[in-house]
Amino acid sequence: MVSINGAVTKQNTYDVIIIGSGMSGSWAAKEFTEKGLNTLMLERGRDVKHNVDYPTTNMYPYEFAHRGQVPYDIQQANPIINRCYIFKEDAMHFTVKDAEHPYVQDKPFDWIRGYQVGGKSLLWARQTQRWSDYDYEGPARDGFAVDGPIRYKDIAPWYSYVEKFAGISGNRDGLDNLPDGDFLPAFPLNDVEDYFSKFVSKNYNGRNVISARCAHLSKPNAIHLAQGRAQCQERILCQRGCPFGGYFSANSSTIPWALKTGKLTLRPHSVVQEVIFDDQKGKVTGVRIMDTETKQVSEYFAKVIFVNAAAVNTNLILLNSKSKRFPNGLGNDSGVLGKYFAFHNYRAHVWGEYDGFPEMTTDGRNPAGGGYIPRFRNLKKQETNFLRGYAAGFSAYRHLETDQTGVGANLKHNLSHPKLSGWKVGSHMMGETIPKESNFVSLDETKKDAWGIPQLKFNVSYDDNDEKMVKDYQEQLTEMFTNAGFKNVQSNDSKQAPGLDIHEMGGARMGVDPKTSILNKWNQMHACRNVFVTDGACMTSTSTQNPSLTYMALTARAVDYAVREMKKGNIA
Amino acid sequence: MLETINRRTALRNLGLVIGGAILLPACDKPPGKASIALKNINVNADQEQFLAFVSETIIPKTDTPGAKDLGLHLFVLKMVDDCFSKKDQDAFMAGLDKVSKDAEKRFNKPFIRCIQAQRESLLAELDQKHIAKKNAQKANKGKVGQNSLPFDDRLAFYNIAKGETIFGYTYSKYFMTKQIVYELVPGRYNPHYPVTKFKEALKYG
Repeated sequence: MVSINGAVTKQNTYDVIIIGSGMSGSWAAKEFTEKGLNTLMLERGRDVKHNVDYPTTNMYPYEFAHRGQVPYDIQQANPIINRCYIFKEDAMHFTVKDAEHPYVQDKPFDWIRGYQVGGKSLLWARQTQRWSDYDYEGPARDGFAVDGPIRYKDIAPWYSYVEKFAGISGNRDGLDNLPDGDFLPAFPLNDVEDYFSKFVSKNYNGRNVISARCAHLSKPNAIHLAQGRAQCQERILCQRGCPFGGYFSANSSTIPWALKTGKLTLRPHSVVQEVIFDDQKGKVTGVRIMDTETKQVSEYFAKVIFVNAAAVNTNLILLNSKSKRFPNGLGNDSGVLGKYFAFHNYRAHVWGEYDGFPEMTTDGRNPAGGGYIPRFRNLKKQETNFLRGYAAGFSAYRHLETDQTGVGANLKHNLSHPKLSGWKVGSHMMGETIPKESNFVSLDETKKDAWGIPQLKFNVSYDDNDEKMVKDYQEQLTEMFTNAGFKNVQSNDSKQAPGLDIHEMGGARMGVDPKTSILNKWNQMHACRNVFVTDGACMTSTSTQNPSLTYMALTARAVDYAVREMKKGNIA
Repeated sequence: MLETINRRTALRNLGLVIGGAILLPACDKPPGKASIALKNINVNADQEQFLAFVSETIIPKTDTPGAKDLGLHLFVLKMVDDCFSKKDQDAFMAGLDKVSKDAEKRFNKPFIRCIQAQRESLLAELDQKHIAKKNAQKANKGKVGQNSLPFDDRLAFYNIAKGETIFGYTYSKYFMTKQIVYELVPGRYNPHYPVTKFKEALKYG
């Protein structure tokens, strides 16, 4: 009996266990396996192999039964995921339906999930910007949350490291609020975007409109070709999975790279119930999982555990990992686990029309999406009646318009003879939200999911700071648009619930002081030296950048540290 | 000029009707049922045929394929069955029968026996009504008690039938390969492109 258990334990023992196979988990897998460690990567969803499991990737619009639309009954059954722009006929198989994993909304929260190997890295909007010290020093300077334990110089080399491998397109714009990276050529601005960029630089000190930086191979290097990836073909059908590997996804890049080492065991259909803290040994020894197909519960063991289940599920797992030592969740001596939860404010848009450049248009498609306006509010000093600020997207485009009045041969003729519209311009805000104790996730006392885990309860909402920021964004962009000569300038506030931004962060934040944070500056738990969290849950503040690039860099940096600590015998 | 074209088209479509009638008995579907499987709406063969002529009136065969050639009425049925609420489906079916009866009353023969010009005149009326209603809604916007005009299921039917016929047409393989060509793999982004070149490439624009 003992020997059988011993054999199973040995068979189930690895150097490293990574929970989650998405943006950050797949980077951990690449780094650990390259360094020769036996690594188990657990994924709660099914396997999605690059190219093999992209069923819609080469389909023409007319090959979809409803030409891209989601049938009514599916929309009705899925009010939450139906609000997400990904949820269309071509990619809805990569999203979690509402009933599959229920949760409790004490306050409305749209929890958007992709349960499969690769996670949401298949579906992301691929925008990648570095943080600057205006962001890393933000909490300390402006006096909110707690001081983040790292500065730009700590992470700059790791940004370069992941950029080179993932492939990031962009210009070296020389902005101190949005540091340059190791870029492939940018996707250029079109005529109207370029006009607006020049107008803003000239008329607004400290404001810029640059080519959006994105994880697309505009011109692949040898390292990208070695991954089996090829140049981006400007399809803009990324959410289906890209047959060219033209954008960075775990499926096309880090996971196959890690598998090639022979050191990675990938176990799909594995929901982690908890990270096991052995009270007798006084340390974390492994994880307990349920196989979603057999419903069998089993344990896996390792010297080091990386928790990369995506921000919300990482909180859920840690809160549910209870022991005598940690009755309120793993590593939660401070009591802040699940708290100081934040996200990005994507509520407002401003748009208009432009009469200039009537003789010019664009040809093909721009995978970067157009321009990006880095944060300019409260950047160098506090200057408004709200904290922090917002970045914004900006794009200009013309589309084909058809006269659809009437019926018959005339209508048919018109449909084949569309007219090019005038230029339209549009912008959306990406606002920082302030992490607060009152914005938190917690375990429901009674409701459980299909895998025996308590359901997660959301108490996350906007506050007065967010309302002021929405107003300021609308005012500033409206003014900039109007002064630039754009016409019919309008704005909206979608009032969308938190979560639909899909930039949820925090709950297991990094910090200098173990009394007020869960992780140290290496993404390592203050109280459990062999547990690391490098997904969105680790974030002390959100700033305004799209977060994935920072998760990648933090992950590579944390693995480097963990392996050094293992070699020194500090983690065993 | 326009009228001449329409008359010529109408004559051609008359030929199509006769051809279609000859072919009909060859179908091996149960009598009185729609020719495709539907799970929410009940459509009989007459209703399906009426809709086929409505779609054909909207997108007639000219020197290029029309709605019937492309099976657009079946696409409309599929979309109504799968992508609309029960309320919309009911309005569509009620409106379908009413418009069908309107035609019979006006022309003393079923819609499907009418010539294109007659069929067009009936649908063009609905088109005008729809535009008038939209304008009225716009004009009444913000006035207390004036926001909702009476619901008209003839218009509901017409709007869905027309919208989905156009959607099916412009998203058909024929249209996307022979009219406005859809590129799955553009392989380029040119941010500075002269409109003149763009129009040349479009051929029809």
